[in-house]
Amino acid sequence: MSTLDDRPANPAIGEVRPNKRGGVAALIQSPVAIRLGALLILAIGLSLLHLSGRVFWQGLVINLGIFMILVLSLNLASGFTGVFSLGHIGFMALGAYGSAILTLPLAKKADYLPNLPAWLASIHFDFYLGPFPLGFLLATLLAAGLVAGVALLVGLVLMRLSGHFVAVATLGFLVIVRVILFNADNFTRGSRTFSNVTPYTGLWWVWFWAILTLYVVWRLKYSAYGRAMLAQREDALAAQAVGLAIMPPRLLAFVVSAFFTAVAGSLYAHFITSFSPTVFYFDLTFRVITMLIVGGLGSVSGSVLGTVVIIALAEALRRLEDVTLLYGMSQITLAVIFIVIILFRPNGLLGRREIVLARLFRKGGEPSP
Amino acid sequence: MKTKFFIPVVLLIVSLLLMSCGGAAPTPSSSSSGASGEAASSEPIKIGGGFALTGDESALDLPAANGAKLAAKEINAAGGVLDRQVDLIVHDSQYKMDVTAQIAKQFVEQDGVVAVIGFTDTDSVLAAGPTIQTAGLPFITAGATSPKIPTQVGDEMFLACFGDNVQAAAGAEYGFNNFGKNAYLLWDKGVEYTTLLGGYFKDRFTELGGTIVLEDQYDDDATDFSAQIAKIKALPDQPDFYFISAMPYNVGPVIKQFRDAGLTGPIVGGDGYDTPDLLSVAGPAAENVFFTTHALIDSTGGTDGIKKFIADYNKEYGHDPENAFAALGYDTMYLIADAIKRAGSTDAAAIKKAIEETKDYAGITGSISFGDSHIPQKGVTIIAVKDGKFTLGAEVVPEKVPAP
Repeated sequence: MSTLDDRPANPAIGEVRPNKRGGVAALIQSPVAIRLGALLILAIGLSLLHLSGRVFWQGLVINLGIFMILVLSLNLASGFTGVFSLGHIGFMALGAYGSAILTLPLAKKADYLPNLPAWLASIHFDFYLGPFPLGFLLATLLAAGLVAGVALLVGLVLMRLSGHFVAVATLGFLVIVRVILFNADNFTRGSRTFSNVTPYTGLWWVWFWAILTLYVVWRLKYSAYGRAMLAQREDALAAQAVGLAIMPPRLLAFVVSAFFTAVAGSLYAHFITSFSPTVFYFDLTFRVITMLIVGGLGSVSGSVLGTVVIIALAEALRRLEDVTLLYGMSQITLAVIFIVIILFRPNGLLGRREIVLARLFRKGGEPSP
Repeated sequence: MKTKFFIPVVLLIVSLLLMSCGGAAPTPSSSSSGASGEAASSEPIKIGGGFALTGDESALDLPAANGAKLAAKEINAAGGVLDRQVDLIVHDSQYKMDVTAQIAKQFVEQDGVVAVIGFTDTDSVLAAGPTIQTAGLPFITAGATSPKIPTQVGDEMFLACFGDNVQAAAGAEYGFNNFGKNAYLLWDKGVEYTTLLGGYFKDRFTELGGTIVLEDQYDDDATDFSAQIAKIKALPDQPDFYFISAMPYNVGPVIKQFRDAGLTGPIVGGDGYDTPDLLSVAGPAAENVFFTTHALIDSTGGTDGIKKFIADYNKEYGHDPENAFAALGYDTMYLIADAIKRAGSTDAAAIKKAIEETKDYAGITGSISFGDSHIPQKGVTIIAVKDGKFTLGAEVVPEKVPAP
């Protein structure tokens, strides 16, 4: 019953064996070196893109990073624990609005949000530390922290449910957030577009957060908490029987995941610079879930892969549409591909497996024993 | 086993990406400012057309895009502008804000356009606007009617249509003069357009001395309006007319349910009513409905310009224009072509100056002049639904307009 095939992915177990040879080769092949190398390659790629000044491709890579954060954190909450959340875009909306209200400069605040309570109206996180927009970082952290608090309260109630009940309940949360955003005119401008947000979000911001999310989610999966999450996903009764509590790991996953979802919201807000509550609803929810399921529920590298595949496909098909003039084809094709993947790979491209960088590298170089 | 599916999928995507990039972006050399230097060449003048051809807004954007494409075709048939052909490059924003922001970058950076037209809703314009404004290219929206857009985006932003404050004032004055002093106000609280329109209506109507006997709202995705209807029926004095500020996809159901419940008084609305759905969904219930819009698209009641437009549109697409947004898209394309002609070059700054100097340009949706404001002073057409058809109620210019 318990087919925990993510076991070989554990770097702690997989990495120790081949270090017999020692010397430079082992150092280069050590997991730390490979990870640093991957980071270096990413940094070089981002630098080149940054220097090229191509705003379109930069925008695409920024979108990719934002969606990657969303998918990774949804995977943490849903894939690891088996508690499927349809309400995460609600956290994203709260993060977007929260941080945008905080970073709005004073003059614009008086203009756009004249009815803010005094204590909020006088706060403005638009200050810099040298060239570094410290205010944006603080606003993001503050908004995400508040959202994590909300998630704790919501989670205390909702994480007691399982299966499809929790999906419906979290969907309810999404609807509630939307209604609140519409009606809290004084804070959100209601249904009117919240515009003129300072465009802080750039390549470096997004990928700093994306890598941090990846790291946290990865480490969490292989921590004791992560093991507890996976165990209660596989069989809650058995997990309880060996003395694992169900609630703490679920709640931890939910809160951490809400934090990073809110961060993605803040990045999105300061990238698009204008949005209304309608933006954060079913459309975004289902796009993120598509990426998650295509990649594989429960697989961290699957989330990365799923995001890249869907974003690249959507963009390629959109370009194809401009040539063929068959507008709408891209969305239909994407839906068909999604169905095909679900039919032939019901667990997504990677299922619950992981791609481990260190093992990819070792295959070629390792002499047969 | 793991790599069996992985590699073909990656290969497929990479090849698709390469294929599409090669097809759609053949000239990476044209940058945002590069257009000015090549005025003498015979290359086509590129104009970006951003429209949500799919998604919730497509009922308005699709006709607008068709109108713009028809205009571009006519301009080219007549010899083009500055002896050069006009190339209207259309991208579908899918009514997704991240895609909308991306296609704005695509216009500026990869397509090398000299100006951008398009969109019929505020959210899309505000998502695309900053990129186009930063690039210093003129941007004319075909149908986004929020009068706040130019101050929100910047000095490159223009409207080809009147602002919501103008049409709401026209609706308020028409209702006040023809139906009475007591109005009921209902709006869709989920959308900026309907919220603004309802707010401006209330401003002007109360300023005239009218009374709003009841204000109510509904959610954008509402399909059942019985709660709102029950509240009206509970009123001690029934209102003289109903002002319902609704999106195109809600117009039919809300009117039908009002009539089915026995509320037969006049219903007044904005240009969101200008959709074939009004007649097809509400049917006979649509009688006694009045709404403000940009032009009456009717082959018998319209002006000569409209009649010719309908005939040409029908020839091109095989059916009559769906609504006034087709005419707005058509006018917007001609407006930008006219400005380029007067500017005498494809320099973005010169085009912007020429657009600002536009005076009494005779479009089919009315005469367009830009003064200091980037919103044209245009007349409002009021349409009355009679015998299952749109008929001309009045052509008005409101006496006083609420501040944006």
